[in-house]
Amino acid sequence: MMNTAVQSPRDFTYIKPRKRRLSEYEAVTCYTQPDPAVFDRQGWYLLTPEGRAAWRPESTRLQHPHWFDFRDPSSMWQRNYVKLQAEQERAIERCVEDAASAGAFSEFDPDWLTEIIAGHYRVWSFFEYGLFRAFSRAQREALSDTLGNVLCFEAVDRIRHAQSTVLYLMALEANIEGFKDQGAKQRWLSEPRYQPLRAIVESLMATEDWAELAFAVNLIIDPITTEIGVSRLVRRQAPRHGDPITPMIIMTTERDRRRNQAWTEELVRMTTAAGLLNADDNRIVMRAWCDRWMSLAIAAARALAPVYDRLGPHAGLFEEELAAACARQATMMAELGLGAKGG
Amino acid sequence: MQNLIEAHNRVKDFDWEPSYASKPDWYPTKYKIPAKTKDPFRHLIRDYLSMEEEKDNRQYGSMEDALARGQVSAKAEPRWMEAMKAALPILNFGEYAAMKNMGQLIETINNAELRQGYLAQMLDEVRHTNQEAYLSRYFARHAADPEGFTQGFKLRGTNIFNRAARAAFEAFFVGDPIEGALNLQVVAETAYTNSIFVALTEIAAANGDQVTPSVFLSIQSDESRHMANGYSTLAAVVSNPDNLPALQIDFDRAFWRQHAFIDSFLSVVWDYFQTNRSFSYLDKWREWIDNDWVGSYIERLAPFGLKVPSTFAAARDRVPWMGHSAAMVGFAAWPLQYWRFDPLTNRDMDWFELKYPGWHGQYGKFWDEYRRRCDPRNGELALSMFPSLPPLCRVCQMPCVFPRPDISTCRIKEFAGKRHAFCTPECELIFDQEPHRYLAYDTFYELFDGYDLADFIVENGLLRADGKTLIAQPWLNQEQMWTIDHIRAARYEIRDPLRQQ
Repeated sequence: MMNTAVQSPRDFTYIKPRKRRLSEYEAVTCYTQPDPAVFDRQGWYLLTPEGRAAWRPESTRLQHPHWFDFRDPSSMWQRNYVKLQAEQERAIERCVEDAASAGAFSEFDPDWLTEIIAGHYRVWSFFEYGLFRAFSRAQREALSDTLGNVLCFEAVDRIRHAQSTVLYLMALEANIEGFKDQGAKQRWLSEPRYQPLRAIVESLMATEDWAELAFAVNLIIDPITTEIGVSRLVRRQAPRHGDPITPMIIMTTERDRRRNQAWTEELVRMTTAAGLLNADDNRIVMRAWCDRWMSLAIAAARALAPVYDRLGPHAGLFEEELAAACARQATMMAELGLGAKGG
Repeated sequence: MQNLIEAHNRVKDFDWEPSYASKPDWYPTKYKIPAKTKDPFRHLIRDYLSMEEEKDNRQYGSMEDALARGQVSAKAEPRWMEAMKAALPILNFGEYAAMKNMGQLIETINNAELRQGYLAQMLDEVRHTNQEAYLSRYFARHAADPEGFTQGFKLRGTNIFNRAARAAFEAFFVGDPIEGALNLQVVAETAYTNSIFVALTEIAAANGDQVTPSVFLSIQSDESRHMANGYSTLAAVVSNPDNLPALQIDFDRAFWRQHAFIDSFLSVVWDYFQTNRSFSYLDKWREWIDNDWVGSYIERLAPFGLKVPSTFAAARDRVPWMGHSAAMVGFAAWPLQYWRFDPLTNRDMDWFELKYPGWHGQYGKFWDEYRRRCDPRNGELALSMFPSLPPLCRVCQMPCVFPRPDISTCRIKEFAGKRHAFCTPECELIFDQEPHRYLAYDTFYELFDGYDLADFIVENGLLRADGKTLIAQPWLNQEQMWTIDHIRAARYEIRDPLRQQ
């Protein structure tokens, strides 16, 4: 041991912990991204040929004096993230395997299988893939490591959802005679009911602002459009059609959605905190985002009404579900101080 | 999965041509990449997750169990452990920068096969960033001397040598994504990670550090996939002959940028921080870089029009000397660092002469004098052996002392009203190609010219918890440690060597 009069600390000393003690998540995440406003006062050593630096404050319209203050409420770092997703994928694999052994797939209502699972749910995987692309780029631009990492994990969530759906339909092909997973891409590209959804994801892929992407997807589009297109339609209706398996897969994506919603809410709280110089400006920016994405999200949800019609005699179901999803989303926004009438 | 090939085909059929919104060209590339090539990855996300989970369990499990109980890190050779204080925060930025390059590649390269590899690498790089930070914290808890581990990620910010690491690794993600991939996957990962994560672990283990190998070998198991990504990216680029002229220029530059930092850094860590000595950095350089990387990899791409980097011969010529020159500057400038140094013993010096014939004639005197100046009671700083700190290269940020101070290739020139130093003609050429890319930062001397060394140390937080003793020390002697009072008494001013009188 060293012979100094004062005991040396035995932990990282440059990170201000959110709680009383430095968490494992904070220790392995915080300040891995350099920043001239933090410890790297000399600036950036290299610019692109076009003259831009490694990171740019203008990559988002939100403003904050210290983006490194952000903490993911789920405290995800690679190890617990990978563990969570490996467990979810194993759960899916086992469930599908058990369903096959039990002959449960033969209990699926054939119309449900072709109209909803192959005809609709499989199309959703293209939406998820588009989000994987959008979040992969967003992680490159985020202005701190804690933000870059949640965006990166969300990108991986999305590719997991997309691939999981493909593998599930392959399992259905293997277990249900005559069933084929076909035509989904064509429907995604040309069927009118999916075009507003495709337009949304293409707009998200073209959205430069990483915070806007997260805000739009996690606080507006998932709570409304994905809620209508997947949770309330596929997950909730499946048991009525002899399908207890698909909901199990969707629930893993809903777990991811809750996590992503939670960190995005945290981002809103951080950028609108009382006493923050830019809080009002940030609120104005986020209200503009609400205006832009709400109408698109609702339009994309409305375009899915014909899918609800395929479910059989449930007149009025679609409007009820949409109203309920919108009401829940509105409550969340109001709690964040971003409600329609000033929160 | 019964039908794995079919599964791979289907998960690669997600791309479509957007028609409702057009994306800006966020990361312009001059390369044309074919839409379909070989898949370097061939894993589903499901398989990938379970594979990585298993690797994490093994690595973190062993660190927290037997290795912690056995207090392995506290018993490792102190000389070696000091190198880890420098290395971990430096490597960590390389991983982090790599993750950002993957975001650029996924965005820009419209090729579903390559994108499969990039997406796994993106998460791998988060893994490595976390692992190396975790290892730093582990050493802060378990190593004999925690100072330096406890705040390396902060202190690297203004550190004179970390500048060179930052400059090399920013090239992973600041610019054309393919140029980034050349720097990262083709050069840094394929040429150098075997040296960093495999051979270096042998040295760690030989010096009693059993924890670093657990982490580094686990990292390297991902790196082999990244090398495959690099090869597939390169194969895709060379498949279009229109890409070749730009490719060769970018490749020449990428090799030099990475060599300039990594070879200096690795050879110092390797040769100057071993106690129980085995092979030299030069031995391994010849084996891994010259024979394997060039001989078995790059030269085989000749039929496709890619040549060995034009900068390679100059690198090969200077590798036998550059580590020693870098070490001399590094050791002499010990008060600027956040780790301790251990002067060479006579036994060490015999080893250097054996491994690098002629070494003693060039560097022996320095080391004799350095040893004399370790004791604070003598009051003499090793830095005072030289008229000033050397200028730092405008491009690679390394001190301009290469290959050896007596035959230095340093050149100074004026540009945009300022004087700039370049360590070699190669770095000067890189600057001349695109000068505006290298002028946005403050040089070390612009920030600290005229500082009293003691003020630099205090301002940059380089003191131990007692507020008096330096984190860095020129030797490992715990009875006679340098304090800020010794430094003040030595009266040393940091001077910009380019400052005109």
